[in-house]
Order: sequence, then C-alpha cells, then structure tokens
Amino acid sequence: MSAAIEILRAGPLVTVQDAGRFGMLAHGISASGPMDRAAFVTAGRALPIAGAAIEFTRAGLSFRFAGDPVQVVLAGGAFELKLNGHHHDWPEIIALSSGDLIDITPGSFGNYGYLRFSQEFDLPPILGSRSTNTITGLGGFYGRSLQVGDRLSLVDGSRFAVETLTPGSRDGGSIRVTWGLHADHFSGDIRQLFLDREMTISTRLNRMGVRLDGGGAVFGGASILSLVSDSIVPGDIQILGDGTPIVLMRDHQPTGGYPRIATIIAADLDRFAQLRPGTAVRFKSVAPACVLKLGSRG
Amino acid sequence: MTAGSQYPTLIPLGGQALLVRFGTSLDDAANRRAIDFARLAALADLPGVLEIVPNLVSVLLRFEATVIDFDWLAGEVRLLLSARLETHIPTPVEHAIGVVFDGPDLAELAAGVGLTEAQFIDSHNAQPLRVLATGFAPGFVYLGFHPAELVVPRRTAVRPMVPAGTVLFAAGQTAITATAIPTGWNVIGHTDFANFDASKTPPTLMRAGDSVRFEALS
Repeated sequence: MSAAIEILRAGPLVTVQDAGRFGMLAHGISASGPMDRAAFVTAGRALPIAGAAIEFTRAGLSFRFAGDPVQVVLAGGAFELKLNGHHHDWPEIIALSSGDLIDITPGSFGNYGYLRFSQEFDLPPILGSRSTNTITGLGGFYGRSLQVGDRLSLVDGSRFAVETLTPGSRDGGSIRVTWGLHADHFSGDIRQLFLDREMTISTRLNRMGVRLDGGGAVFGGASILSLVSDSIVPGDIQILGDGTPIVLMRDHQPTGGYPRIATIIAADLDRFAQLRPGTAVRFKSVAPACVLKLGSRG
Repeated sequence: MTAGSQYPTLIPLGGQALLVRFGTSLDDAANRRAIDFARLAALADLPGVLEIVPNLVSVLLRFEATVIDFDWLAGEVRLLLSARLETHIPTPVEHAIGVVFDGPDLAELAAGVGLTEAQFIDSHNAQPLRVLATGFAPGFVYLGFHPAELVVPRRTAVRPMVPAGTVLFAAGQTAITATAIPTGWNVIGHTDFANFDASKTPPTLMRAGDSVRFEALS
C-alpha cells in the first residue's frame, strides 16, 4: 500500500495536527493540537484507525490523491466540498481512488476544518507528536504550514468502517468561563462589565490567540500591570496593556506576564475557536467545580 | 514575613489545572519553595496528575478531570505541602557554561553600575546561579539571583530577534536563549551551550533548581 496527497491550493495556516504534544510545558513548548478538538475527535471516530489530521482554515484546501485507495473523513465547521467537481455534503466520508481531486471552499460557518485519513502521514513524530507548533516551528510538515506543491505520503493502511457523522454544533449562546489567575486584579465593576458587555471576535486570530474587539469599554478604566510570569492554559483571557483582551489558544506561549481575568472552559473552547471575525461574544462565569459536569474534553 | 513564607494559594486554572502559588512577586524564598514543591510533587505520583510545571513562584499541576477534581487534588497538595520538604529534595545538578562576553549592551551596562567591562564580567561570574525557571520558550532558562549592585532594568526597546545561545541580563538575572526569540533584555554575550534539542527526549538539559557556573571565554 502506498498513497500520497499533493496540495494544489491552501489557505493560510493549514497545519498537520494530532491530539497534541503534551508534557512539554517545562521545556517551553505548549501542547498545540486541534483548535476544534471535538471536530478532530469526531472525524477520527468514523475510522477504525485514523492518522493525524490536516487542519485547514476558512479559505479551505484542494488536493489530489494518488495511490492505493484510502478513506478520508472531512469534518469541522461547515465547508463546501467537491469530489472531482461534484458537490458533497459536510461532514462527509469519502473513499478516495487514485487521481481523485478534493476541493474544499469556504462554507457557512467556522474557522477550522479537519481531514483525517485511514492511514498515517509519513512524518516523524517530534517529542511524541505530529502536531505542528506554529510558535516554535516544530512538528508536522517540517514545522511549517502546508503550501501548494507539498506532497504528504500516507503509510500503515487499515480496513474501513463507516459511521454516521453529525454536523458540528453552531450553538450560539454565551461562552462559559471560570475566573482566572488574576481576576482579583480587576475591580468588581470591571468583572461585571466583562460579563455584561458584548465583545466581538477581531480579524486578528491565529493558533496562538484570538483578539477581541470592544474591550476598551470594559477595561478602559483598569490599570494593567505587568506581573510575575506564570503558567498559561488554553482558553486564558489575558488583557494587554491597552485593554485589548486576547484569548490564548492551542499554540499559546507556555508562560506569560499579562493579567488573565478568566479562562474559557474546555467544553466551550472548540465552539469559541470556530467563531468568525465580527461574531459577538458574551461570557458567562461558572464555578470551576461545575466544569467537569459541563464536559471535560479538550 | 516575606511573601515566600506564607501558606501557598491553590488556584484553579480552567477546569483541568491547579496552580500552587507561593508568591505574587519574584523573590528568592518563593522561587525556592516552588522548585522544591515541584520536585516533591513529581515524586509523589499524585492521582490524575498529567504534568507538573514549576514556574518562577508557582507550580502548575495539569490534571485529568475525569480522574480527579480540583478539590480532591487540592487536598492531596495540602498534605504534600505539610510534609517536610528538605528530606526529599535531591542535590541540584551543576552545569559549567562557557560564555563569550561580547554582547552589544555590555559596555553600557558595566558603566551603568560603575564597573569596567572586565569587573562586570568577574562580578557576573563570581557566584553560581540557580535555574529559577524554564518554560518561557524552548530551552530558555532564567538564572538568578545576582547581588543588588548588579541589578539593572530591561531595555526600553525590544530587539526583534536574537539567536539561540544569546546570554541576556536584566532584573538581577541572567537568561540564556535556546531558540531565536525577541527580547527586551540586555545582550551581554553568547554561548555554544544548547539547552534544546527536539530530537532528544527530554529535549532540554537544565531543570529548575539546577546550579550554573559561568566561565568567561575569549
């Protein structure tokens, strides 16, 4: 069995991601992994053996498949999908034959989608993971985003089983947070404003963080001090010196010295990652003890 | 009473991590207590704990929320904190690091603290330093503390990028980069010592609490 895909078109920040590179924080490397873990896992469950994913962004991806047949699962957000020019639903499972052309173009919602094959990419795990870490340039495909002309070989074939896929949740509603490490640096009035005021997803978002617009109305009166640097976890909402909130995502710096008012709970971080620029966001505080009951994936 | 001698604060970070914080500003006692606790916790085999990360004045415990919850883990942590720490802590590893003191900020720094460059280098290397923390970037180490007469602030301007092996100085500390990073610290020299190799497991050589002695190379 041998097979490969060749990238014909790629939006920005298309990366290889597996579950993540855990256990490396003390060495200065955050875990990376899928921006929408639920979509990644959903895609994987549809196959008896699933390799690392290609995580693509809103502009989508085109590739040509060559070699012995494999299956591919496409999931996450809602994208437009064509196989050899013919429209397919989303999410979808497709049996690929040599010469097939997959074309993924922007759809109705989400920032991130996933491709998982019934084989593994022939890429070496770095420190136990094939995830690309965009801040350090480690892992994945030579530590970088995929570009036109890149060729990824697939190895270790397996038999296929088909399950039904459910589309990703487009549930609106507030994003739940626990109060953060430095919540006590903000007055009660500012914490209340943080919950009451709608903010919006800005155009400045990537795998490291998502900046929010509208933070000035909340944090304009706060004095933002630089603090002793401390551990960051995915979902932390840190407030920059000018009052801009930035939600730290999967490729976060392992430590940071800006105050963090709150942390998006793991169960809501996937949904948050899929919110497009311009989307209004409202935060709701929950007690840490409730988080497990609300779901602990991520 | 210093911040470092108070009982530590146990703080949830999201739903899957607990931070044991020994202080809210960097001081020697809080840093030592954080490092000692991280080493003790690593030996304790706490249930559900996935990763233990010492910081400058705190320790992160990342846990599997389906195995243990915050309150249960907090109880385990309090038991550990009440144990006699000094009986468990292994002797620090010692590293000797050769540095070429040729950094662009060296002359101004030395003059700023009233020393010649040679005197500054001698003072800098006089005592072994402790690895205060790792984890800011791959293989990056903070080392301290220098005596009060060597303490200078960071630069006002950030250098967009310095290479791996750059030796930095600010805030009573020396730091060594192991990857190219931007920095607002003073650049005092460079070293061939490489504290990060992604092809090795673990990928770094220095641990928080290790002892580092600098030697000037020409």
